[in-house]
Amino acid sequence: MTHERAWTRLPDLLVDRDEPDLLAHVAACHDCQRQLFLLGRVDRALRGAADGRSNARRRLRKLRWLRLPSGLAAAAVAAAVVLTLLTSHHDGLRQLTLRTASGQAIGRAVLDRSDAENTSLTLVARGLPAHGGGSYVLWAGGSRGRPTSVGRFMVDRSGACRARFNHPGGHSWARFWVTPSGQPNAVVATT
Amino acid sequence: MRTAAVPAQSEASDAELLRAIGEGSEPAFVELRHRYRRAVERACRSIVGGELEDCAQEVFVRIWRKASLYDGGRGSAPAWLLTVARRTALNFRQRREVRLRDELVEEMTVVEAPDVDRFWVEAALERLPERERQVIELAYFHDLSQSAIAAELRVPLGSVKSWTRRGLHHLATLLGEETS
Repeated sequence: MTHERAWTRLPDLLVDRDEPDLLAHVAACHDCQRQLFLLGRVDRALRGAADGRSNARRRLRKLRWLRLPSGLAAAAVAAAVVLTLLTSHHDGLRQLTLRTASGQAIGRAVLDRSDAENTSLTLVARGLPAHGGGSYVLWAGGSRGRPTSVGRFMVDRSGACRARFNHPGGHSWARFWVTPSGQPNAVVATT
Repeated sequence: MRTAAVPAQSEASDAELLRAIGEGSEPAFVELRHRYRRAVERACRSIVGGELEDCAQEVFVRIWRKASLYDGGRGSAPAWLLTVARRTALNFRQRREVRLRDELVEEMTVVEAPDVDRFWVEAALERLPERERQVIELAYFHDLSQSAIAAELRVPLGSVKSWTRRGLHHLATLLGEETS
């Protein structure tokens, strides 16, 4: 067996060691031995990753359906949908549109009460320039006092992001704006 | 912001990307984030459960800031990245829940070689040509036989065998480069 042919077929040894010609070549070839060692590590890593995925799927299923009878589960889904619809319209919800200097809408900031003492702010944006490593700061300002840095976030290659920040309630933030990290005066978009 | 010299981004090893990010290279950061997005999200999911997008975001912010501290002599790039991801996820979780026990934190931040390999392989799959990645994911993650993959993709069995071999070789070569 030629080295090229043996090399090509090395991955076959991961599932079937009954290849006398191939094994004879590997026994005498240092390059093939090293590659087979690496292939074995890759194979174990992939199997480990597969186990991790199936465990995660199992945990998710368990959490989702936690021994609920099917009728009750369906009722829970229906209740969740109703709850979602209700919460998205309750009084504490505020939605503000983020716009660039040219007036183009690039995203929104949604303020909601996450519990009795905290407020959650969800930022969804798209089309932000991916410069500076795509790292930005979201600022908030009220009618009085200094601007507050709400948090940092990053955008993907297309300039899109979805980030959530939790803060103690009691702020009276009137507007929000976004600047690249390290450039607090370079406002990219504002509500 | 500088653009550090780095081999063609998709060809660069993880360690080369980290060094370039440490010198301020945006393209290197974009490439690393592309490779490790899914792996980081999985690491976050295993520790914080939900809100993994926020957690993953925080991980990459930290990688961007701390990349200059990466020292290849003290460990592989995937091991460093996994450590950063786990520590960030634990901090993220601590902020939302009661404090975790110290021994639990220590246990969760120790990265073992098999953990690193699993973390790395998720990212390395992103570097394979589409067909090679597809057949490997179907075989390992969906537990399909090569015949079933051929039927699923409506391609000859020989093509599936060939893409699988090439993909595995490709991953082994990348692993060899990463650990050499």
